[in-house]
Amino acid sequence: MRIFQTIWGKLWLILFCLALLSLPLWADPYIIYMVNISGIAVIAAIGLNILTGLTGQISLGHAAFVAIGAYTSAILASKLNTPFWLTIPAGGIVAAFFGILLGFPCLRLKGLYLAMATMSFGVVVEYGITHWDSLTMGVRGISVPAPTIFGYTLGDPSKLFYVTIFFVTILTLGAKNLARTRIGRAFVAIRDRDVAAEVIGINLTKYKVMAFAISSFYGGVAGGLYSYSTTYLHPENFTLLLSIEYIAMIIIGGLGSILGSIFGAVFLTAMPDIIKGFADFMGRQFVFLHGRYDEEWNIAAFGLLIMIFLIVEPTGLNGIWTRIKTSFKNWPFTY
Amino acid sequence: MKTIRNWKLVVSVVMCLGLFGAGSAFPETRGVTKDAIQMGMILVKTGPVAALGLPEGWGIQDTFDEINQTGGVNGRKINLIWEDDQFKTPLSISAFNKLIFRDKVLSITCMGGTPQTIALFDLIDKHHVVNIPNALAEEFYKPHKPYVFVLGASYETQIELMFDYIMNDLKAKDPRIAVVYAETEFGKKGLEAARKRAEQYGIKLVSELVLNIGSVDASSQVLSLKKDNVDYVVTCNLVPPIITFLKTAEKYDYWPTTFGISWSCDDMVVKACKDASKNYIGVNFVGGWEDDTPGMKRVRELAKKNDRDPAKMLTSLYTIGVGTATVLAEGMKRAGQDLTPESYKDGMETLNNFETGGIVPPVTYSSTSHAPTTVARLYRAAPDKGVMAPITDWRSPKEMK
Repeated sequence: MRIFQTIWGKLWLILFCLALLSLPLWADPYIIYMVNISGIAVIAAIGLNILTGLTGQISLGHAAFVAIGAYTSAILASKLNTPFWLTIPAGGIVAAFFGILLGFPCLRLKGLYLAMATMSFGVVVEYGITHWDSLTMGVRGISVPAPTIFGYTLGDPSKLFYVTIFFVTILTLGAKNLARTRIGRAFVAIRDRDVAAEVIGINLTKYKVMAFAISSFYGGVAGGLYSYSTTYLHPENFTLLLSIEYIAMIIIGGLGSILGSIFGAVFLTAMPDIIKGFADFMGRQFVFLHGRYDEEWNIAAFGLLIMIFLIVEPTGLNGIWTRIKTSFKNWPFTY
Repeated sequence: MKTIRNWKLVVSVVMCLGLFGAGSAFPETRGVTKDAIQMGMILVKTGPVAALGLPEGWGIQDTFDEINQTGGVNGRKINLIWEDDQFKTPLSISAFNKLIFRDKVLSITCMGGTPQTIALFDLIDKHHVVNIPNALAEEFYKPHKPYVFVLGASYETQIELMFDYIMNDLKAKDPRIAVVYAETEFGKKGLEAARKRAEQYGIKLVSELVLNIGSVDASSQVLSLKKDNVDYVVTCNLVPPIITFLKTAEKYDYWPTTFGISWSCDDMVVKACKDASKNYIGVNFVGGWEDDTPGMKRVRELAKKNDRDPAKMLTSLYTIGVGTATVLAEGMKRAGQDLTPESYKDGMETLNNFETGGIVPPVTYSSTSHAPTTVARLYRAAPDKGVMAPITDWRSPKEMK
């Protein structure tokens, strides 16, 4: 609570926690499920933002770490009956191990070459989980038993919600604090100019590999939660497209910003509903637009949003949010 | 300032996650009013496999519309809500939750595909959602799932029929048979079934080759098969890779008799491949598009009435859609006026050799088994007519030990 020093800060925190924790009591299961998958996307996006946004190491293989975490949790839970509070962190740890393995050969790679290397890693992992039938069940997919604690089943989205929120909170605070520590500043220094960072005493090997490890740990934990949320894993769930979705989340949210990762992940998860809701609204206002909505719009909007944000708003939703905040803070002055 | 930023961060997490929070509690009964029935459907509309989901969905939609125009089911109109899952499990689960809790549907016609349906087993059971999955995996009926009704012939049945045809109809002596399959759940099922059937006939498969769904060239597979002098190619794949395979085989002047399962037994293969398909034989559990049966006449009329161009869609999938909706509507009708998820299930279980007029073979379910039929038919490509023409009657695989 040290970072919430004012009475207002503490009060708001308590109020929001109460509102959030009571969500399963008043919201329907669709909303709860959407909150859960948003939470999982938030964790994965924060992980990718640590690597790409903070450290400047582009990765097109983040879905592979999510897959490793998901399959680790699923295998431990289904074959060894390991409890979820061990399988989810274990997913993160195994993913971090693979992150370190990938980090070393990628030390000298930058830009397009790094993107290709990480993408190839994603392909290798996808191939592995597809073909290692005895462990992953291959294309048949693997069922994940519902998590339980003290004999109490948490498989329902409204119960899994608390598990997700717990991990989202811990990992978000962890990432925010990480960004303020020596490690976080070293990441930023590497991103801004790695040669200069080395000159001022930052060990590039150590910090680049560390960034890979932390990022993949986040991806692995997200994967662990994902496995319990979907209850069934299939190799097709972890394709290159998922990695691109995570990239889109941090671009739209704001590169290098933890808050941006949250904005981006939630926005993209909710986007299909937003577009559909907007189309329905427009259809009610203008008869000629009624029934014109098509799911293809979501895909077009996805690509269009990335283009718009890259060209018009490179700081993402976080940049917009910061400007709004500043405007209110400075009002009525414009500076 | 740092403090403010920190607590705002946490608050933002809470706010963002709470953004969705505008729902309300849901009633215990759902989907049925005095004059309407809310039905859901989870089927891919966009993405790489949209060409499969769209015609099936259109078939279901058009059938329900037709039923509505003739008075509905027991006086109630069916309102179908179609959710696109893009063939992704998480989207399928969210669509399920939306349909059940937001739209409050009585039932959901299909769940997206094999992985999606398996992921939803618990929810289907919990919320008593009667459905016919658009996949034929054995897990769907073994062990018995009270609300899942499987329609069609399993992959095992289809592969067995191919081998029976080679051995008994074509009377092949020491045939050189190879399997070309997609690395998917159904592809592997087909491979295993082929291995088993080959063993039963005392045949050794010459080779087992992968041809994935996104493949744009099959040269390595074709050249390998040609080198091994393979006479019969048993495939377990979708329409696009089969077209690729047949066209590549034509390019290398290689003409084995090639067999395909129901997902690739479509007129589109003949239209796309023309002469390259002349040795192509497919197995399917739906009637042929040009069949002179009351059921298939109805399917063609429905397509025409709704501007569905048979030249531009997978007609077999449209037919499956019509068959699925017809069976589901019959179950609903048999449930009577007091329509609930439970009475709907009971209604479906009264189907005993239910005739669809040749759209699908007679349908039978009971309270202990929702297994699909073991009956299917073989079709041969007729390049001059651009269709898959039936070459056998409905038949079951030969009993073998």
